[in-house]
Amino acid sequence: MAIKTFTTGELLTASDTNTYLANSGLVYIKQQTIGSGVATAVVADAFSATYDNYKITIHGGVASTLTSLTFILTGSATQYYSALSYVAYGTTTPLAASDNNAASWQYAGYGTTNYLAATFDVLNPWNAKFTQFGPNNWPAQTVSGTSSGVHGVATSYTGFTIGTAAGTMTGGTITVYGYRKA
Amino acid sequence: MTRPNIQFDDEVREMTEEEYAALLATGWTEEGTDDLAR
Repeated sequence: MAIKTFTTGELLTASDTNTYLANSGLVYIKQQTIGSGVATAVVADAFSATYDNYKITIHGGVASTLTSLTFILTGSATQYYSALSYVAYGTTTPLAASDNNAASWQYAGYGTTNYLAATFDVLNPWNAKFTQFGPNNWPAQTVSGTSSGVHGVATSYTGFTIGTAAGTMTGGTITVYGYRKA
Repeated sequence: MTRPNIQFDDEVREMTEEEYAALLATGWTEEGTDDLAR
């Protein structure tokens, strides 16, 4: 049973407590601390049949230079399609960039010498279907935007890789959550 | 220059020459040029 409504005076059993406290919407899967001077961080065993959809966050740490953070499903470096809409701080002029059959999602997050930042959903990575990613935050130092897209290969993947477009990452934490199905 | 590191879960090591060549083939550069989208 996914949910239960308790009534006044009802006995709260250990079984119910253990069951329903675990029935959160987002379920922690794993966390990985980024090492020093890393251009590519492979996160293995993140996706499984337990969940269809996932949330990935990256926070803390620093980059060695201003850089977009990239994302691939480990084992596939083709067929990434995405669109990024962004605006420079202090302006209202819309700007855009995109991936068209690229080797990665090039706008998964952003890194500066002050922070690494990303949060986005990944839909269907373990299922043998196209994988959708985003929407995300793309919080650069002088511009900010959001991006989403699709990986056009109908294959099952168990992990992902975060990389930099330039320079390296040091510190910071990659966290993976699953959206509970029932 | 020293090749950047690559990380597999909790293991961090320097990239091999082959891994570094593959990284450069993606357009990766040592220094970012600006704050805008590539």
